Amino acid sequence: MKTLAKVVLLISTLLYTTPGLTQSDVADVRDVNDELKLAAVEALITAPADKALPLVSKVLAGNHSTEVKEAALFILSQIDEPEAQTTLLRFATEESGELQLEAIRMIAIGGGSGMSNLKSIYESGDSDAREAVLEAYMIAGDKAAVFEIAEIAEGDDFEEAVEMLAVMGAREELRQLRNTRGTSEALIEACAISGDFECLRELAADDSNIELQIEAIEGMGIVGGDEANAALVEIYKSSSSEDTREAALDGLMISGDDAGLLELYRSSNDSSEKKELLEYLVMTGSDEVWAIIDSALDGDE
Amino acid sequence: MNEQNDKLNELVAAHKAEIHEAPAHLKQQWHAAIDQAAALERGRAPIPRERWHPSSFFWGMAVSAAIAVGVALGVFVSDDTIDTPVPYVVENFTQPDATPVAFTRGLQHHFRSSAKQLADLDGSEDAAMLVLRLVEQNRLFETAADQNNAPQLARVLRAFEPILLRLAATDTAPEDAEALKAQLSFELNVMLTKLAKESSDETHST
Repeated sequence: MKTLAKVVLLISTLLYTTPGLTQSDVADVRDVNDELKLAAVEALITAPADKALPLVSKVLAGNHSTEVKEAALFILSQIDEPEAQTTLLRFATEESGELQLEAIRMIAIGGGSGMSNLKSIYESGDSDAREAVLEAYMIAGDKAAVFEIAEIAEGDDFEEAVEMLAVMGAREELRQLRNTRGTSEALIEACAISGDFECLRELAADDSNIELQIEAIEGMGIVGGDEANAALVEIYKSSSSEDTREAALDGLMISGDDAGLLELYRSSNDSSEKKELLEYLVMTGSDEVWAIIDSALDGDE
Repeated sequence: MNEQNDKLNELVAAHKAEIHEAPAHLKQQWHAAIDQAAALERGRAPIPRERWHPSSFFWGMAVSAAIAVGVALGVFVSDDTIDTPVPYVVENFTQPDATPVAFTRGLQHHFRSSAKQLADLDGSEDAAMLVLRLVEQNRLFETAADQNNAPQLARVLRAFEPILLRLAATDTAPEDAEALKAQLSFELNVMLTKLAKESSDETHST
């Protein structure tokens, strides 16, 4: 109780006292005041919910800096009471700017009933609010909610939702989107980000759209690993298209597979092809490259 | 110390599959980005900042994954203040639904260590790399939180990551970086206080 009494006293003091200051001192002292206020708000995490809630509400209603109010919102996110969620929701729907975005983030951190309101905030909010809602779903680990948005979103909103699904590793949801929305650059990138090699292998074999095919082949390099590297070497060897062969080399370079590039270099008898492969090996920083250069200069290769 | 190393090796090996390996050239790209950031810093030519973008999550993930093993071992092992290995997934046979105390202690260490490292960030070229190390540690603990019946802690840890990635981004203006550091420090301190209070309450109630 002693600690709580101190917290209450400190908050009250900070909220109601106005120090007598000269104009030149205002900026510096404001920082000091904010630091004190932040320390007081931080201390509220130790108070019981019924004591902390009115004080946090007072901070949020008062004439304080955005930083102090954001700190108060974080405390609310850690209070497992309906009133805390209600306040966060009010800020997420009625405020604008940084406080609204932070309130959306705090709803996700709290993971309470406010989560069900995020969809309507997404639908009525500006682009910053929509991004904040997607991030909130990421924090909460709610793939289904992001998928629901991606299913109907268009343009940048669609791409952002797809990217968020990729970040969340939602491979199944991304596959469903490819079926319903068709293959696009954003979805191929998402396959790579989510590490879905099978998706990329399927798309790399589809030559109906050369640009998307190249994107998929290069994406294999982002996924990397033995399976992807072997597939890239195979694509390079078997493809008759210069574009896809180059994409395969780009993929091997992105993956950092100097062993694969080395294999291709050594198996090639074409000097112009060897030159191109040597350039890629130099770019990957392969340790073997110096021996190859030495041999090439000696005319051994 | 050897036992600690072994446990950390096991820890890293167990979760290596969850980490996207980053190719070496990405590390080179990252160094180039750091150079660019340093040049911008010297030239005081701030670029308009965007909010966190999911793609940055990936690139941060890709680059930081490359140093994941080194970080998991290097940071924890090289820190002389650590007396015990970082608890990861802790079996709790008596209360399978409870968050193990050992995990909570490890998380407290992570929060404390992160707060200290953030306070020491000086805007040098190494700072971005240090933040990416924090991202990687954060991700390890996020996975551990999910596996240790602590979804509320996992959410908090996930919420830290976009802030860390914005802090590591080359286009974040110095004043914005300071604000991000301050916000993260506050949130880390709150979580530390909360965990300490919960531990204390449990001790007193037993």
